[in-house]
Amino acid sequence: MMLQYFKDLESGIAAKIKENPDIPNARRKYALEVSRLGTRLYSGENSVAWCGVTAPFDLLSAMGVTSCFVEFIGAMLASTGAIGTFLDHAEHSGYASDICGYHRSVLGSAKQGLMPVPDFLIATSCPCSGGLAVMENLAEMFKKDLFVLHIPQDESGKNVKYLADQIEQMTGFVSAHTGRPIDEDALRMAIENTNLARELMKEVFELASHVPSPTNGHDLSNFGIVMALLLGTEAGVNISKAYRDEFAARNREMKPGMPGEKHRLMWIQNRIQFRSPLDKLLREQYRANIVVDELNSITWEPIDPDDPYTGLARRAISIPFNGTIRRRVNHLQKLALSYKIDGAINPCHRGCRQGAGARGLISEGLKEIGIPVLNLEVDVVDPRDFAEAQLSTRIEAFIEMLDART
Amino acid sequence: MSDNKGYIGFACAYTPLPIIYAAGYTPYRILPMGDSPDQAGHILHDNLCPHIKRILDRAMGNDLPDLAGMVFMNSCDAMRRLADAWHRVRPDINMILIDLPATTDEIAVSFFTGEISKLIDAVSEWSGKKTGIADIEYGILLYNQISDFMNELTEKTYGGKTNTSVSVLQKLFNRSVTGSPISFIEDARRILSENEQGKATKGGVPVFLFGHVLPDPEAFLLFESSGAKIIGDDLCTGSRFFNPVATDGKKGIVENLAESILLRPPCARTIDITMPGKIGNVMISKAKKIGAHGAICHVVKFCDPYLSRMPSIREEFRKAGMPLLVLEGDCTLRSIGQQQTRIEAFIEMLR
Ligand code: SF4
Ligand code: SF4
Repeated sequence: MMLQYFKDLESGIAAKIKENPDIPNARRKYALEVSRLGTRLYSGENSVAWCGVTAPFDLLSAMGVTSCFVEFIGAMLASTGAIGTFLDHAEHSGYASDICGYHRSVLGSAKQGLMPVPDFLIATSCPCSGGLAVMENLAEMFKKDLFVLHIPQDESGKNVKYLADQIEQMTGFVSAHTGRPIDEDALRMAIENTNLARELMKEVFELASHVPSPTNGHDLSNFGIVMALLLGTEAGVNISKAYRDEFAARNREMKPGMPGEKHRLMWIQNRIQFRSPLDKLLREQYRANIVVDELNSITWEPIDPDDPYTGLARRAISIPFNGTIRRRVNHLQKLALSYKIDGAINPCHRGCRQGAGARGLISEGLKEIGIPVLNLEVDVVDPRDFAEAQLSTRIEAFIEMLDART
Repeated sequence: MSDNKGYIGFACAYTPLPIIYAAGYTPYRILPMGDSPDQAGHILHDNLCPHIKRILDRAMGNDLPDLAGMVFMNSCDAMRRLADAWHRVRPDINMILIDLPATTDEIAVSFFTGEISKLIDAVSEWSGKKTGIADIEYGILLYNQISDFMNELTEKTYGGKTNTSVSVLQKLFNRSVTGSPISFIEDARRILSENEQGKATKGGVPVFLFGHVLPDPEAFLLFESSGAKIIGDDLCTGSRFFNPVATDGKKGIVENLAESILLRPPCARTIDITMPGKIGNVMISKAKKIGAHGAICHVVKFCDPYLSRMPSIREEFRKAGMPLLVLEGDCTLRSIGQQQTRIEAFIEMLR
């Protein structure tokens, strides 16, 4: 089912890009690569590793492994509209309905035999203990070897070296499973691509902070988190370049992504992954533009190709979901100020202890700099009990409050 | 060194207590008990485990002794968020969050050794005096004694070789982590003698109990009154807590401590990469070894480490033909009480 979905998506998008080959088509190029990744994962023709969110995907790709964090599959299932059956299946198999929907859907899909069997798995302790648990479950279900990367909370003491050593150990584990030793040239090239994409993404985010923004609230949804999967590849560089060119042109030609942009918003953590009327409501009715997502930012320095493990370790540690809430709040405050936002929306994804559990402290942290936060109660992948009317009313009240402040 | 500088609080069974003691403090486990008003959900979220919320409720409701500091372990997302929320509601109390590896291999032990060293620095700063190796050695010796005492008592109690009831045993477990360790053994002997006569369960169906936090001694009385005889446990407020530290001098003392904590019987949050999902099998072998007719697993709501592993645990029990009852609760006696009919029916089925 998913293979056909990704194949159809790929051919449909490729055809659309072909119609207008001379325009940047950034979002389409991004979606095309996402569908290609999906095809590679499900085709049965590649070495596949299911991973945690902060695994070093560029390193894995340099080692010839198609790798992906499992939550990506949850998001894809949600976007196809088919996720309900997988969630039902997981719940009937005994997974509590209050664990993260991303994980529940993946477990449901694996239980139904619809997840590709990986060659091995790499779990990461960041961003969440739920993520670790799902990887242990999958390793048990697939009867495949598991490697765990423990991501320390910050860069203090010997933390960077500790993680760098684990990543280096991981390469041995990967080689033992693929039968291929690490190719130093391929790794160097991957790191160079990563650094190139990093520079371009930085430019993209800077351009997106322009008032009015060149983004339309949708262009960059899921971008930061999903780009991690494409780092190290030429595709990653090309997509970033396409976005950079498109946004630069929009700013230059004064063609904002959302004409009449009235309110500038920040989206905290994950977007709603299934089709929901809230996007349209924000965009069309209120001209409220989501100009920045929490993970759409570069929090790490370029990686030294001569010492890749250290740079990869620093990058994994730098994700805002890691460490204390103060660290995360500092990051959000920085984004809020540089994007000149008027307010923030936190979906408080049900089942996410690390995210929703930080709800009160995030609101307080943004309030410190005068930014109001709308806390919703949504499961961002589970459309089954999506309370549209109630959520629309809350959004309406929030926008009215923003109107009153201007 | 003495333990007269006051209390340092902690919340997780992975906390290195000998270090707290070595710095001159009494470790005080904030158990999820008491009736502080329910307020934590406003700061955290209602979807966090009741263990965490109750601890924060106690901090917000001032239902704690004076604490000179608080030690959190980064054992799961909920604990990490608790540390953040604690910092917000009790900025007056020193605190530290110690990272805890998810695995138990050599590199993890070495990292955890470093984390314990950070704790040593922190408690030294709080106490205004460097905590030395000799202090730590003494702390370890003392807690090793308590471990030996509790392990022996646990074995005897579950084996029916004393008159101690399991609820008294639980009182002692609680006392061992909330009061002065130096006077604990004496106190323990007194509590035992006061409770000696006629309290232990005479009959009952032998059952193994596992899960994470279940500190209320009354809960054990409830199991007994439902017809169960608890003959073994794997709870982090119970026998899982004590694991003596090697003092053979082969490694550094701090490393020995790190190793003994990481390698103690694991809670569901710790992964053995050589055997993913082994927790079900480990529980079954423990239950079988002691001759249990069935097992009761007590999990608190919203606890990802346990809830995510429950289907696999159930499946292993099913395959092994060992009856299992899963109770989902909120750390209160009331929530277990509401399930008493299920407990009775389960015990009836085991007869
Ligand atoms: S939403 Fe939260 S619990 Fe779910 S995968 Fe993301 S960080 Fe983990
Ligand atoms: S392990 Fe479970 S019960 Fe313990 S703090 Fe974490 S979520 Fe709560």
